[in-house]
Amino acid sequence: MDELCRSFASRERLVEYVAELSPWLDDHGASPIRGGATVAHDRLRELNPTEYGRTRNFLQGAVTGLSPYIRHGVLTLDAVRNEALRRCERPEQIEKFIQQLAWRDYWQRVYQRNPEWIWNDVEPYKTGYTADDYAPELPDDIAAGATGVACIDQFIAVLRHSGYLHNHARMYLASYVVHWRRISWQAGARWFLHHLLDGDPASNNLSWQWVASTFANKPYIFNLENVRKYADSSINVAAEDNAILDAGYDELAQRLFPRLQRHA
Amino acid sequence: MNDLIWLHEDALSCDHPVFAEAAPGSQACFIWDDIYLQQMDYGFKRLLFIYETLLELPVTIIRGKRCDCLARLARQNGGRILVPATPNPLLQQTIARLGEDFAVEVIAASDFVTLSRQPDLKRFFRYWNRARKAALLPAGSMREDSR
Repeated sequence: MDELCRSFASRERLVEYVAELSPWLDDHGASPIRGGATVAHDRLRELNPTEYGRTRNFLQGAVTGLSPYIRHGVLTLDAVRNEALRRCERPEQIEKFIQQLAWRDYWQRVYQRNPEWIWNDVEPYKTGYTADDYAPELPDDIAAGATGVACIDQFIAVLRHSGYLHNHARMYLASYVVHWRRISWQAGARWFLHHLLDGDPASNNLSWQWVASTFANKPYIFNLENVRKYADSSINVAAEDNAILDAGYDELAQRLFPRLQRHA
Repeated sequence: MNDLIWLHEDALSCDHPVFAEAAPGSQACFIWDDIYLQQMDYGFKRLLFIYETLLELPVTIIRGKRCDCLARLARQNGGRILVPATPNPLLQQTIARLGEDFAVEVIAASDFVTLSRQPDLKRFFRYWNRARKAALLPAGSMREDSR
């Protein structure tokens, strides 16, 4: 039982210290996102819930970056909601923002009521495939961000570098992993939980199940046109570099879920 | 007798009601448990985030097995063990084990919404239709639901 150090000359010294405390990990790279209540409250003061509602789906939209602090209880949903309400004239103006907070509350309630759903399919896949058709392990090329699909590899690089990813990019990645590569959502969920600062078994795993269709009425898929609409100029959305995503939704559904088409 | 506040990574805040519940002068601790952290499979960025957050909190950070450390500290303090509520099964197991030998109180943080009846959780929008009105109020304080 050793008391650990609480005082460091710099963040670099802290990073070295925590690296020494975690010799089982290979990657000791720090995230640019800092922990602590000071940063959390700074971000809360920058909150613009009205703008969030307008731009949240865009990868460079006015997202709050509060999720790691909410995940670890530095801020409560209650406190964030109350701060957001102080920043608007009418609550209806910021309903989209509050609804996103409610998603987390919803996932937590589901987790508490049905803890076994965190790692088990809530419902069967609605993809024409059964759970056995999905590979149980994440392939190395996905883990390394070397799939050859340009935008996917860029999203993976952001995830690995920062420990954070815009929600829309998370959905793209999850859909790619489960539906394009036919990997089990559990393998993807484990991968995200390892890397994400805000990784939470309820929000993360049940969202993967939502994408997979084991906790939704249909699978979530996207196409290159959708990425182009929401991505910023740093993302490579060239057709030749993202060929497998470059199709209409009907064509993609036929390719990805051929058994559904036969039974339709 | 002093209480022992056991903070874990689901509640890293000195605003958590667990602090208000504790007797004045009670010690707060976080247990840096290598085995547990590996079981949780947290990456390095997360471990750093947690440690960085702890540095702003009035807690002693102790490395060791969490059950052993907490039992030892609780004996030294002589009072209750106070712990923030968590849905994490591994932490819940520890709470249950400690409860065999000590007075353990699990304290919940403020709710996002207070609903008079259990909502239907089959799909999000069934929950949202029940919770919406309260969610748009400060402290989610409307006792009755949206109907």
